[in-house]
Amino acid sequence: MKRSLRTAAALTAVAALSLTAAGCAQSSGTASDKKLSIAFVMGAESDPFFQAMKVGAQAEAKAEGVNLIWQGDASHYDVATEVPIVDNVIAQKPDGLVLIPTDPTGLQASSDKAVAAGIAVANVDTHVNDLSKVITFITGDNGDGGAKAADAIATKIGYTDGKKYEVVVGLTSATATTNVARLEGFKAAVAAKYPGIEIKDVAYSASNPQTASSNVNNWLTKYPNLSGIFAIDGTNASGAASALQAKKLTGKIALVGYDAYPANVALIKAGVFTALIAQDPAAEARLAIKTLVEYIKKGTKPAQRDVVIPNVALTADTSAADLAKYTYVASK
Amino acid sequence: MVDSKQGVSSPKQSSEVGAKISRLLQNQSILLVITLVILGLFFQWGSNGIFLGLGTLGTVLTDWGSYILLAVAQTFVVITGGIDLSVGSVVSLSSVIAGWVLVNGMHADASITGSAANGYLLIATLVSVAVGMIVGLVNAFLINVFKIVPFIATLATMGAAAGLAIIISGGMPLQGPDNHDLGIDWVVGGVELPMSTTVLVVLIVTVIAGLFLHKSRFGLYTFSLGSNAFATRAAGINVERHITKVYVLSGALAGLAGAYAYIRLGAGSPSNGMGMELYAIAATVIGGASLMGGVGRILGVALGTLVLFTVQSGLLMMQVFQVSPDWKQVIVAILIAAAVAVQTFQNKNGRK
Repeated sequence: MKRSLRTAAALTAVAALSLTAAGCAQSSGTASDKKLSIAFVMGAESDPFFQAMKVGAQAEAKAEGVNLIWQGDASHYDVATEVPIVDNVIAQKPDGLVLIPTDPTGLQASSDKAVAAGIAVANVDTHVNDLSKVITFITGDNGDGGAKAADAIATKIGYTDGKKYEVVVGLTSATATTNVARLEGFKAAVAAKYPGIEIKDVAYSASNPQTASSNVNNWLTKYPNLSGIFAIDGTNASGAASALQAKKLTGKIALVGYDAYPANVALIKAGVFTALIAQDPAAEARLAIKTLVEYIKKGTKPAQRDVVIPNVALTADTSAADLAKYTYVASK
Repeated sequence: MVDSKQGVSSPKQSSEVGAKISRLLQNQSILLVITLVILGLFFQWGSNGIFLGLGTLGTVLTDWGSYILLAVAQTFVVITGGIDLSVGSVVSLSSVIAGWVLVNGMHADASITGSAANGYLLIATLVSVAVGMIVGLVNAFLINVFKIVPFIATLATMGAAAGLAIIISGGMPLQGPDNHDLGIDWVVGGVELPMSTTVLVVLIVTVIAGLFLHKSRFGLYTFSLGSNAFATRAAGINVERHITKVYVLSGALAGLAGAYAYIRLGAGSPSNGMGMELYAIAATVIGGASLMGGVGRILGVALGTLVLFTVQSGLLMMQVFQVSPDWKQVIVAILIAAAVAVQTFQNKNGRK
């Protein structure tokens, strides 16, 4: 579903973002009688992705003059912990709810309940099964990110048809939806464009960078001719970077990571990362709040409900301004 | 059982040999060494002959270094009949605070590398150990003053420490000065040896901790507390004070493991210790310590940790047939169950 939306929606995203920027400046003047409140509910609130999203949400809430209710289980990305949190938030009667469902089916009832209570609901990152009552669904394109990673590795190794290359992929777990989408995008791009690349192995880090690092150490022994590593999230990126640095193999093996932690962005310049695929969670959050506030105040729905904000590949050639734009900012 | 009238020498001899073998198998450390040899040969076959080498040993020992301090910490606590679930979060929190002190406190960034970073890393280590000791003190306070069972008390600090690590770091790795050479295997005459400075330090700490547990009065009290807390109190030992010391020691060792993680990764990340407590407990149990208290040996736990990470590396190296990473958890679980089953069997035999 995501992929079919991509092309059209990418353009919408750009347009919507510029609207956001324009909107921010005006909205401070339009003070309404009652201060609106917008709730944001996610799983695994501590994930740097959500922390970066929080920065965007806070900035937009301030610009729009709305109260932000930011709630989520600290560490569990789990439907069982998210449902009671959504229920509690609905009881607080916010005007809008930005829901990041940990499960499309499990959170459907909570989403419907919020709509029934007169709360405007938006989905960000992931979505509930039935989007008909949801005002907008904004997401990053993880499949596209995986494809960009394949391109970056192919460029680095100087891919030539007819030659054979071995690559491995470091995941966090078999079930993290973003991991799955990125891996699918990666595999599809490899199959379509780089048939000489063979994905030899995958391993899990269980969110621990030390485990990610030893996975890479073991791979270096197992595959002496390894050409590239796709480290599918921030944890794997950190672990793989330290393993390659320790073995003094930086630059010799293509390493493409995910998530623009400041520490990892600095390692692009140092040549440790061939590329980092970055999402823009802050932009997703800003757009969600912006869209909800507009709907609540004026009753206008966005022209296109589903918006996909593309991932970008940060490389040594990326301008300093773009690097700064996409680097995750630690939340306060 | 044997009819004495049959009085031939051969069954007697064989029963003596049997007794000798069964006595050897009573020894968890010997069992673990045998297990290691079998695993080594199996993975050597399964990896098409690449597993048994200095490179793999180096990787296994690097992982061993990450976990052994937590397993040793757990051993002390488990012998008293308690458990310390907070050790993994202490790794995260201590490495994050160490990173924070260097980056925000001393304004030293990742551009400081090589031996120029050593002074900073020493400070990072001291900070990490101090953080661990503070968490240990909190654990002891909850257990002694509020009489909360160790499982719940340390579950609470586990959550709190993990949360604080996220708050302080903003959810991202704090990258500061680092000297990668400390964690890199030594190269002597072109040969990469399976030993690095950090692993050597951890090994020395482990040996000292072993001597401390098995040869000192402190160790004696620790065992006595787990065997019979009532009798220990009756013997005039200040049980609360000793519990405090054990949990502070556990925290200190976990803090040291946090410094190890910082040096290994060059960053204090709130996920540096993610899930480590469970592996530490598994290694402790595989090493022959009993969660019922009163039983445990550092040598066994050191070997148990080695078994655990030999399996982790070995499964990834398999080439004759690839082992999906999904099976890794299942295999580790079977290993733990087998270790406990062997223990129960030994206890039954020992009681005869």
